[in-house]
Amino acid sequence: MIITVEGLHKSFGKLEVLKGIDCAVAEGEVLCVIGPSGSGKSTFLRCLNFLESFKEGHVTISGHNLTGAKTNLNAVRRDVGMVFQSFNVFPHMKVIDNIMLAPMKVGKVSRADARSRGMALLEKVGLTNKADVYPSTLSGGQMQRVAIARALAMEPTVMLFDEPTSALDPETVGDVLDVMKKLAEEGMTMVVVTHEMGFAREVADRVLFMDAGLIVEEGTPAQIFESPQHARTQAFLSKLL
Amino acid sequence: MTLYFGDILPYLPVMLKALWVSIYVTLISFAAGGVLGIFIYLAKASRFKALQLVSNGYIEVIRNTPLLVQLYLIYFGLGSVGINFNPLWSVLIGMTLNNSAYTAEIFRAGISAVPKGLREAGTALGMPFHQTFTYVMLKPGIRNVLPALTNQFIVLFLFSSIGSVIALDELTSTLQNLNSQTLRTLEIFSVGAVLYFLTSAAIAFGSRITERLAFKW
Amino acid sequence: MVGLMDFVQYLPPLLRGAGLTLVICVAAGVLGSLIGVVFGTAKASPCFIARAISSLYVNFIRGVPILIILLFTYFALPLMLPALTFSRGFTAVVGLSVYSGAYMAEIVRGGIQAVPKGQSEAAEALGMHYFTRLRYVIFPQAMKIAVPPGIGFLIALVKASSLVSVIGFVDLTRAGRIVTTLNQEPLLTFLIVGALYFVISYPISLLGTWYERKLA
Repeated sequence: MIITVEGLHKSFGKLEVLKGIDCAVAEGEVLCVIGPSGSGKSTFLRCLNFLESFKEGHVTISGHNLTGAKTNLNAVRRDVGMVFQSFNVFPHMKVIDNIMLAPMKVGKVSRADARSRGMALLEKVGLTNKADVYPSTLSGGQMQRVAIARALAMEPTVMLFDEPTSALDPETVGDVLDVMKKLAEEGMTMVVVTHEMGFAREVADRVLFMDAGLIVEEGTPAQIFESPQHARTQAFLSKLL
Repeated sequence: MTLYFGDILPYLPVMLKALWVSIYVTLISFAAGGVLGIFIYLAKASRFKALQLVSNGYIEVIRNTPLLVQLYLIYFGLGSVGINFNPLWSVLIGMTLNNSAYTAEIFRAGISAVPKGLREAGTALGMPFHQTFTYVMLKPGIRNVLPALTNQFIVLFLFSSIGSVIALDELTSTLQNLNSQTLRTLEIFSVGAVLYFLTSAAIAFGSRITERLAFKW
Repeated sequence: MVGLMDFVQYLPPLLRGAGLTLVICVAAGVLGSLIGVVFGTAKASPCFIARAISSLYVNFIRGVPILIILLFTYFALPLMLPALTFSRGFTAVVGLSVYSGAYMAEIVRGGIQAVPKGQSEAAEALGMHYFTRLRYVIFPQAMKIAVPPGIGFLIALVKASSLVSVIGFVDLTRAGRIVTTLNQEPLLTFLIVGALYFVISYPISLLGTWYERKLA
């Protein structure tokens, strides 16, 4: 298991957002997390690379124990890539520089190697012709693909996606999902918080339904979407599909 | 009442020299105050309550009392207990301390205006904080503060006229001297005002050009 | 070294000075706000001449030190209207009002331009013409936006008012100067003067913070 989560609890002040999450993800598996707003799915995802800290619970990811005494969080994040809902592309750097920055500064990769790696990744996401432009000229979908390439540049073993298409125009959603599909086919371990049920159905190996800080139901896409067992799962899906 | 500007033409060089005094006093105070301001901002943003308290107190006191009173305290007040600063040093110290409080606030506003997501993206890529700050937050932060810093520089330049009260040889005191010499009051003060205005306008213009050239994203 | 108790005798003149500072600041604040509303609206208007004239006034005054404005007012008023005599207080208020007017105008202009364009368009679509739109839709919203920077400027005005001491008006700063000639204690005296200015300014800044929090 490349990710194990045991008894994860997280509170913001008095508000308990995660009430005890247990989960495991195998290498190469694609896990989709669905659920209503406020269910804690994004918080759960952000705990996996410790962008959200937690005091109660145990998480190991890619061989790192997140709350271990000797754990270097920067080392964890080198192995875990994250794609955000609001892209967070660096506006003051050209696209290729966005991708090259972390490998050069954190990974100590040479400029030439970083550049060739970056161009290869841009080809993978279909944006080689945009290498030398500033992000302000790109559409949302293009920026998100740059963000994916930027995360992949660190050669992570796990990729976390936090509602990657929620902020996009419908026309560009497909481009981003195609890139994510390709990644899944290549065997990347992915945890995806999403509202795109079509994507979850088609690409996920397992689906988690979360509500009010707990995992209500989990199973294969067929199980969750065709025959949901719990009433809350049924209620949620009936509103969407 | 007739206006005759020709009489004061021979005094233009003197005025320009005095203008230069105003400018370099501003430059020094701006630079020194800026550096001091960075430290005060860091103290305010630090995790130590004592540092936060001291820096906040410093900023609030400076921002709620007039520069003139601060200047009197340095020139007359310290003088009465044996610490004597000449007019130039008094003005430099006063303007530097004054500027540092405002600069600290400008930095705080500029840094906090950088979207939180950029910082998270840097962290998620495995960059330690000092790298995230240098490569991801600094340039957008500077772009945020450039208009406010330009404004602060112009304000400081206009403040330099307060030096005239303790007989510093900057533009305003020179204007008052010329006034008592030539009695061409309106002409002298209007030319002086125009000199101040043109300098301020040039600074503002220069800043806009810099912004367009340096921050072309 | 004069003790704190001995200093008490000097408090009345300082407090009188503080009172006069408040008076001229309120007067200049009110006048400056009126001037600011007129010129700020003009600067934001679609009429080129209005914009040009107000830009001339606003941009010029904002590029000149307050001390120059006060000195100019002090010397120019008697020269322009030689038949009248002007009290120092009157000169101070006129000078500070001219100064405040320019800065308030910028704040008002900023407030007007910060109102979302959609508001004006919606009003126009309803058939209102410019002045009606301005009065009922734009202006109320603009004034709400302008309050925090307006309050910020009031504090700046209190501090700027200290310069009227240079033209001889006995405000808090001048009272401080006079007291120091009496007691030879500039350090203590000006610390008290500074404290009095702080007592005037700090509540105003707290008001501004409270108002901003109320908006959020």
